[in-house]
Amino acid sequence: MGIRHTVMRTGAAVLLFLSAGCSSGGNELRANSSGMVIDMIVKMDHGDYWNTIRMGAEVAAKEYNVNLKFKAPTNENDTDGQIRLMEQSIQEKPDAIILSASDYMALAQVTDRASYAGIPVISMDAEVASTKVKSYIGANNYEAGQQAAERLIQLTGTSAKIGIINFVKGARNADQREEGFSDYAARFPGVKIVETAYCASDEKLAQKQTAEMLRHYPDLDGIVAMNAEASIGVGRAIEEVGSSSRVKVITFDNPPEMLELLQEKKVQAMVVQNAFSNGYLAVVTALRSAQGSSVEERYDTGTKVIDLENMLWPENQKLLFPFVK
Amino acid sequence: MNKRFRWLISLPGRLHIKQIQVIVTLTVTAVTVFSVLIASLMLYNKFSSSAEENTYLNMGQIIEQVSSNLEFYIGGTQNIFDILEKKIDSTSDLEGTQTRSQLTTILETRDDLVSAALFKPDGKLVLNVPSVPLRPNTKLTEQSWFMSARKNPGDVQFSPPHIQNLFKWQYRWVVSLSKQISYTDHGLNKTGVLVLDVNFRTIDELSHRISLGKKGYIYIIDPQGNIVYHPQQQLIYAGLKYENLEPVLNYSYGSYEDDSTGEKRIITIKTVNPTGWRVVGVSYADEIMTTKKDLNTFIFRFLIIAIALVLLVSILVSYKIAQPIRKLERSVKRIENGDFRALVPVSGPYEVEQLFKRFNLMLRRVRELMDQIIHEQEAKRKSELDVLQAQINPHFLYNTLNAMTRLAEMGRSDEVVTTITSLSKFFRISLSKGNNIIPLRDELEHVRHYLVIQKIRFKNKFEFEIEATDEALSCTCLKLILQPLAENAVYHGIEYLAETGHIRITAEVCGDQLVIRLSDNGIGMTEEVLEGILSGRKRSKGSGSGVGVHNVHERIRLYYGADYGLHYESELEEGTTITITLPAVKMDGASEE
Repeated sequence: MGIRHTVMRTGAAVLLFLSAGCSSGGNELRANSSGMVIDMIVKMDHGDYWNTIRMGAEVAAKEYNVNLKFKAPTNENDTDGQIRLMEQSIQEKPDAIILSASDYMALAQVTDRASYAGIPVISMDAEVASTKVKSYIGANNYEAGQQAAERLIQLTGTSAKIGIINFVKGARNADQREEGFSDYAARFPGVKIVETAYCASDEKLAQKQTAEMLRHYPDLDGIVAMNAEASIGVGRAIEEVGSSSRVKVITFDNPPEMLELLQEKKVQAMVVQNAFSNGYLAVVTALRSAQGSSVEERYDTGTKVIDLENMLWPENQKLLFPFVK
Repeated sequence: MNKRFRWLISLPGRLHIKQIQVIVTLTVTAVTVFSVLIASLMLYNKFSSSAEENTYLNMGQIIEQVSSNLEFYIGGTQNIFDILEKKIDSTSDLEGTQTRSQLTTILETRDDLVSAALFKPDGKLVLNVPSVPLRPNTKLTEQSWFMSARKNPGDVQFSPPHIQNLFKWQYRWVVSLSKQISYTDHGLNKTGVLVLDVNFRTIDELSHRISLGKKGYIYIIDPQGNIVYHPQQQLIYAGLKYENLEPVLNYSYGSYEDDSTGEKRIITIKTVNPTGWRVVGVSYADEIMTTKKDLNTFIFRFLIIAIALVLLVSILVSYKIAQPIRKLERSVKRIENGDFRALVPVSGPYEVEQLFKRFNLMLRRVRELMDQIIHEQEAKRKSELDVLQAQINPHFLYNTLNAMTRLAEMGRSDEVVTTITSLSKFFRISLSKGNNIIPLRDELEHVRHYLVIQKIRFKNKFEFEIEATDEALSCTCLKLILQPLAENAVYHGIEYLAETGHIRITAEVCGDQLVIRLSDNGIGMTEEVLEGILSGRKRSKGSGSGVGVHNVHERIRLYYGADYGLHYESELEEGTTITITLPAVKMDGASEE
């Protein structure tokens, strides 16, 4: 070992002599990113899901020494508010914009404009109808919808009445999840989707809509909630009904409140996205894009169906509880 | 294009690789650069290896520190666990509020203690602090802390980090200490599993402040490879980052180098007892290398400055040496062009100065020799001119014709004929087609004709005889050397003599010399006169042929060298003998024709 070390050291010394000032290539991204500004415009300024995304983004921002501006309207269906934020960002000319569009079509034009202004746009979580977008980071929402349908039909049987609590009509991820769900359900002639409600990511509205749905369809077999806020609303409505409820519930995302319901068997399964990864990877990709590197068109961060059985598997613990402290 | 090409060709001509200046500069620079390079390389090696050793040492100490802190912390936690165990063991009334408040107090001593609970072997809760309702479906009997406690009774078990799902309201990442213990319930001795959950706060605090360079960090894993602490734990949990744990699990203590991430990293490992956790320090080799890089740039600069300095000095020194030599070269070139007046200015180093002095000396000598040659050439030309004049001596012609007239008047026609014949032969040999060297035979014939004429003119006042060996006759000699001597003998030796004069001319070869003697029995000369004749100071006055004795002597010496010439022996009233020595040069038949 001693001899080998000496030889290596001498070799390294000679090499250094010959190539003075040669930097290690690994941290190119880090070295060049310092002081860059990245705007992250999401659908809503509160909620567990968005907080997790934000934390992921902030970890990346800290790692690469990037100035991250987190912007969002108060309500998820405030499409105009999001367009205004986009326009504001275009004027501020950040190095890149990360957009989670609350409406697939409505945000398209302003996205194009950002691109014309020379600002690369990365779409995260929900896509936008613009070809100018450099990359999409998020789950495959159509597949996620199918996963939800598959699990729910396993639970209810192939002859069932199902209600959907979605969040915003027109939002790409909402539409795709619903489409995936419906397409899968359509394979079973006995499965009927009796009603689809849009809660605008408002927990209280979702709770009210669920309660009404349960009242309206007393023989309802299953409910699926398409995002975190809808899930919380559905969860609360189910809790109110109590253990007498025979309705099977599939929810999206992993707010702690829902995990508790999962452990209490009030919710049967949840489709979980990698919100932390979405936020982190979006910033890294935006950075790459701002530096002119080529980025992949899509990063699928994946989804997982979590139930009581697997929720405490070590790898799922890490997914469900990304925050150690 | 053509122009540039030509310039390129002429370039090596301008800068000769063999120029002293170039040689000295290159050699000195090469030697200096080489030695400086070697020296700095050795220095660099020494410094950088000691810097590296220091870093290793430093890192080892940091890891040691962290692990001993951690050991201390775990020991403390284990103590609390033991206190809890003792407390539970010692009380008989587990349900009592006093026991609960005591346990709560113990738990509140530290921030990082989340909860403690006692379970029956079937998983039923006996007691928990703080009293938070238990969740349903905890599957606690299947959890690692419960199972390992049941499996290893008597030892405190440390669980890998996990989510505590037992109690309502909060999910927390904890490490659980568990042990199968005995307790008393309503007077009955029972076994149960005691669990103490500890959150990561203190471990975090112990670890996150530790930095190993700018990028280096430490992390903690348990024996199964689960991460207890990592500065990028969330990224690793999310699968965005990856830590190569496999080799770490193979070591329990020591250092190794890891290249798995593409960057060279130095991993230092220390195991913490009794948990079996490993404190792992990661530092980046390129940061250790910063010292090396600094050193590197310093040495690089030093090298450049040294090279520049050496180059300057060597150019100067070589200029000093080469410059006088070049000056010399220019002087030589001037001399080559014919300027012998150009002396080299004496300056420069000692050796060169000496060289210049010698050179100048030599130059002066050459100049002198050249002057001498010029002088001799001039003298030769002058004497030749004299000879030329002697060839047609009008005075002699006049005297002879005068004498002939008198003879004719007296009717001595025989003598007239003899005189005319001799005169014509005399002039013919005088001219001799312009040659300077003629056969001795001709020269003797010439002087004979002269003496014949003079004998008639002086009315047989003298006799003469000419003798020559055959060998001498076949030699050559300079033209017109005997006639002036004979003339001298007649005019100065015989003319004033009372009795009959005798002139005798002999020629013989002695060794490689041709010796011609002309002797008379004339009045002779004093020593002073003799000297005067040979040095040329005294010239015969009056009716001489114009070619003096001195001229003869000079001509012989100019043609044949200083070894030859005339030699006088004279005695007053007795006569004079002149000896002429010449080199014995045989006649070359072809050239004479």
